[in-house]
Amino acid sequence: MRAVLATYLRELRAYFFSPLAWVVLFFFLLINGFIFAMIVSFLNDPRAPGGPPLELFFGGTLFFWLTLLFLGPVLTMRLLSEELRSGSIEVLMTAPVTEGEVVAGKYLAALTFYLFLWLPTLAYAGIIAYHSEVDWGPVAAGYLGILGIGALFLAVGLFASAMTRSQLVAAIVTFALLILLFSFGLLENLLSGETAKTVFGYLNLWSHMDEFARGVVDSRRLIYYLSATLFFLFLTSRALEARKWR
Amino acid sequence: MIEAVDLSRKYGDFTAVDGVSFAVHEGEIVGMLGPNGAGKTTTLRMITGFLPPSSGRVTVAGVDLVEKPRAARRELGYLPESVALYPEMRVDEYLAYRARLEGMRGPAAREAIDEAVGRCLIEEVRHQIIGTLSKGYRQRVALATAILHRPGVLVLDEPTVGLDPKQIIAIRELIRELRRERTVLLSTHILPEVELLCDRVLIIDRGRIVAHGTPQELRERSLGKAAVRVGFEGRPEGAEEALAALPGVGAVRRLDVAEPRYLLERENGLDPRPEVFRLAVARGWVLVELVEERATLEDIFVRLTTRDFVGEAAPAAEPEETAPPADHEDDEDDEEVPS
Repeated sequence: MRAVLATYLRELRAYFFSPLAWVVLFFFLLINGFIFAMIVSFLNDPRAPGGPPLELFFGGTLFFWLTLLFLGPVLTMRLLSEELRSGSIEVLMTAPVTEGEVVAGKYLAALTFYLFLWLPTLAYAGIIAYHSEVDWGPVAAGYLGILGIGALFLAVGLFASAMTRSQLVAAIVTFALLILLFSFGLLENLLSGETAKTVFGYLNLWSHMDEFARGVVDSRRLIYYLSATLFFLFLTSRALEARKWR
Repeated sequence: MIEAVDLSRKYGDFTAVDGVSFAVHEGEIVGMLGPNGAGKTTTLRMITGFLPPSSGRVTVAGVDLVEKPRAARRELGYLPESVALYPEMRVDEYLAYRARLEGMRGPAAREAIDEAVGRCLIEEVRHQIIGTLSKGYRQRVALATAILHRPGVLVLDEPTVGLDPKQIIAIRELIRELRRERTVLLSTHILPEVELLCDRVLIIDRGRIVAHGTPQELRERSLGKAAVRVGFEGRPEGAEEALAALPGVGAVRRLDVAEPRYLLERENGLDPRPEVFRLAVARGWVLVELVEERATLEDIFVRLTTRDFVGEAAPAAEPEETAPPADHEDDEDDEEVPS
């Protein structure tokens, strides 16, 4: 635990001390602000179908997914690749720590920074609440979905980062894996077979987010995110160990 | 404190280290010497637990490195060949992070950091960002990291490579100071460094230990018969024969065509120098040179590590006579581990 904490604090500090983090935060808020403004003005149109604005904000638009698909690689690409490239992995792994502890510390730091990015979006809920009514249940569920899907994306990213000493390669691999993961679910709408529809429906992140945004918390979704996250973290730790045998 | 038994390491088909066994005792400072690509770094990496051996066993302070890696690593301080620190951190932040990683906290951690900073002479850069430090300071920060948790064993991989002469002296002084309380295993391809620092030397070549002993022992063993160099003025008649007849002198070799200079091989452990002097006095020759030739580690090193290369295109192990070559980039051709 001590090693997890040490790694966690160092990585968190590294996020806040790197320009990349602030650039990401800037554009993240810019894009989300833009989406939010668009949604609000769209709903202001009397011809619009109406409905709670935050439901649309959470996963209702393609922008939401594009943002997430970019965040995954960008937040994780440095974490292990840079250690492998610079060679700092050598002093790290000869300290009394295990691969699992290092992976856990780094992962939790990425997850914390990810949640930190979303923190300012609470203001949107505040703005809506000021001018109209907010049903806080679905909002909380929406953030739960953001946590779950983000957790999975970051685990995929960390895994890719453990596989290469190039940040760029890590980012590209993560992006490709996430696109795959994301579009797998979309196959639900294209396939006709009953079984295939069920299987891919289970993986359909877009419809998951729709459910969360409407306030439906389905434990199957959470189990999917959690198990897939743990699976990728396990792979990451094994990838880090495999370094020894090459 | 360190015991390596029959260590081997393969990278694919390539055997980097082949059945290396040695021990380093408490309080000793042992140097590992070898040409580039001889397997030094790989051996050290196995001792620090960064690489598991393909076969063989390592114990550090009596703890098996494979069975109890955590306990063994606690006893180890390691300075890798390529010093990699986190460039965005400040020196004291980095040391605090390392202290936490080693399980130290509160006043104990602060005390350890102060001590390491003091010993490695990095007080004046303590609050600087690591990325802005010179190579010498970065090396010292890395060394501070290695001694931070007061390990019983220090493993230093080419601790002075890439430093300027002044920094080299500072690092060497620090290592010498550390020897009193710690066991040190260091690798280098700089010969004078070994002579200056080490109690014992392991010469490693192509993944095997080809010689070991104190620098003194190695010198004696290699020279077999020590030699004496003699030079006269003018044209001493029959000097060669007269010298060969002296007690304690074996073969005599003329060193110079123009000048009467000779190399006398010693025999029976006698010192022929007084006899040479008496001979010169008796014959009325003027001595201009009378020197005992001592083999340097360089000679031994070159002999041990080039013998195998005879017949190959180029001698792979060139003696590095002068202080550190700046281009350590290509040092690790064979040793580099793709990680």
